[in-house]
Amino acid sequence: MLVTKVSVLFWVCMVSCGGFLLPSLSLAEDYSFNLDEFEKKAYSLGGYAEVKGEHCWINRSGAFGLLGFYDSPRSNLDRLTTTIQLDGNLNQGIVDFNWLLQAFTQNDQHESNHELNVFSAYASIKPAPSVTFEIGKKTFKWGKGYAWNPVGFINRPKDPNNPEEALEGYIGAGADLIKSFSGALQTIALTSVLLPVWEDVNEAFGEKNNLNFAAKLYLLYRDTDIDFILFTGNSRSTRFGIDLSKNLATNFEIHAELAYIPAQKSKVLNSLGRLTTREESVTSYLLGLRYLTETDITAVIEYYHNDAGYSANELDQFYQLVTDAHSSYRNTGDDSLLRQATTISKSGYARPQAGRNYLYAKITQKEPFELLYFTPGMTTIINLDDASYSLSPEAVYTGFTNWELRLRYSHLDGGRFTEQGEKLNEEKLELRLRYYF
Amino acid sequence: MNVRTRIYPIKTVLALLLFSIACLTLPGRAIALDGTAILQQVDKNLNPDTYEMYRKLINIEPDGSKKEFVLYSVKKGQDKMVALFLSPASEKGRSTLRLNDNMWLYIPNVGKPLRITSLQSVVGGVFNNSDILRLDYSAEYDVANISEEGDLYLLELKAKTRSIAYDSLKMLVDKKAMVPTTIECFASSGMLIKTLYYKEPKDFGDGIVRPSVLETDSPLYKGYKSAMIYAKITKKELADEVFSLNYLSRVEELR
Repeated sequence: MLVTKVSVLFWVCMVSCGGFLLPSLSLAEDYSFNLDEFEKKAYSLGGYAEVKGEHCWINRSGAFGLLGFYDSPRSNLDRLTTTIQLDGNLNQGIVDFNWLLQAFTQNDQHESNHELNVFSAYASIKPAPSVTFEIGKKTFKWGKGYAWNPVGFINRPKDPNNPEEALEGYIGAGADLIKSFSGALQTIALTSVLLPVWEDVNEAFGEKNNLNFAAKLYLLYRDTDIDFILFTGNSRSTRFGIDLSKNLATNFEIHAELAYIPAQKSKVLNSLGRLTTREESVTSYLLGLRYLTETDITAVIEYYHNDAGYSANELDQFYQLVTDAHSSYRNTGDDSLLRQATTISKSGYARPQAGRNYLYAKITQKEPFELLYFTPGMTTIINLDDASYSLSPEAVYTGFTNWELRLRYSHLDGGRFTEQGEKLNEEKLELRLRYYF
Repeated sequence: MNVRTRIYPIKTVLALLLFSIACLTLPGRAIALDGTAILQQVDKNLNPDTYEMYRKLINIEPDGSKKEFVLYSVKKGQDKMVALFLSPASEKGRSTLRLNDNMWLYIPNVGKPLRITSLQSVVGGVFNNSDILRLDYSAEYDVANISEEGDLYLLELKAKTRSIAYDSLKMLVDKKAMVPTTIECFASSGMLIKTLYYKEPKDFGDGIVRPSVLETDSPLYKGYKSAMIYAKITKKELADEVFSLNYLSRVEELR
């Protein structure tokens, strides 16, 4: 107590004398800090504007190159994309309204496209810190994986090449309950979501005229994040999941996901080249780690097994179908088989990672050679079943406040009748300039 | 030769024995107790038990150019802390949570909390995540030794577990103010990672008088310097549930 009083007295004296001392101190460095400009307002607005230029080298003999450009073959494509993303929040007491909008225009020699998407627009009611009710369109990103989320039962699929980008949500209603404890179990939280699929409402999710239910029970137990996840409803089949993540050291994190779907339906080509529906029990999982070296190199490495993916033979069958359809088109000029193959590709074969076993690795080096705000990196995605791969070195510079510049080159290979060897592009160079406001 | 044997009463013998034991043990115990008490007092003087605060973090490059971040933080007890980035726009809405040795980062675009490690830095520069989300020193370190250097105490601190960012600290504490002036942070190899300098005392009101500037430099980042400026520290009652992953996207509501 005495020590406290003495210390307060000392600092009061010091502050009183500050009139003499502080000016000379603050002259050394400008440490001015005006809090007024950070006063909380009833609303907030933000977002970014982005320009992205891409030069793509088309894989002319690949299945997706044939499907995309059979009537106008080309060896390269230049694309310019401009995007604006706007986010905001309006607060009125215990009610918040949040939104995230994205608009883009995209032009290349082949086609032009522009869209305005409402990624999210929802109201939150928070009667207490531990209770939240939400209604509207909201993005869910369940799961611990960086590149993939097998337990993300109500997530939109993300692009493993850009896993940190915003995604569109689904319309629904939900509740979130949190309870904290002291002891081995530190936090328990339950998130539950009602997700309808009706005419013009979440139609892309699954079968229409159904009300679906998803729940996530989160535990922070013995310094480990654990989620138990359930989805049930008739738009998609019932599925169960568990994920976890834990820091093993100050520079080492591990995570994992496991999903079990007792009756997963998928479209697959039969031996006659016809699309049939297959129903099977599938177990998918992901194992990952994040490691930081003493030299500031961060590695994110993940292994992903997807039971619901296509085997190498099944993918071969699709690539053969496209090759045959293209031969037929070249010989007869009739593109009906190619158009049929395009329809089949949309049933699942055109998914970014349509196979069963993948390895993902992203390695970044923070500020090498004392180049502040400069982060070079390398990302690779390897299909372990056919040994095809994509390799993407990149460099990011964030030295100018609110500006981000990213240069990325991608090379895809694996040979004929492999997943990466049949993709639309065999190489791509991309320059992206983004300004946050 | 006559040998005279003097017989002492048993009470006297016991008292002498106890005194001898006390003489052997008390100095060490007193040092340990003093060191721990001083460290706890340092924590108490730096931060109230439960509070909110505004900080500006400045990264200063060798050529003098600066990059600034503004953070709103809340802390409860010895082991719970959350920080929300208010500026610049590229970082706005990001929030970081610390519960004991666990740390997470929430990025609005990513839409979910990611576990991060204490040695990483979400802002670049010399400060790492454990500096930005610093808990009480006494929660993370034991006093291994204490000595006096003029008007200063020198506390040699050892991390309680291997999950603490720095293996050991050498903390110089002003005897009168009972706040740190300089802290050297070492890795387990003995390598100096960085030095922290507490400067510019300020009265934040409500009995909180403490340094308002924390500067740091590091032999690993030659020529670079980072500083944290404290603008407002206010006692605030907070629910435990605020310090959870599900709340990370809502930290702004606490302001």
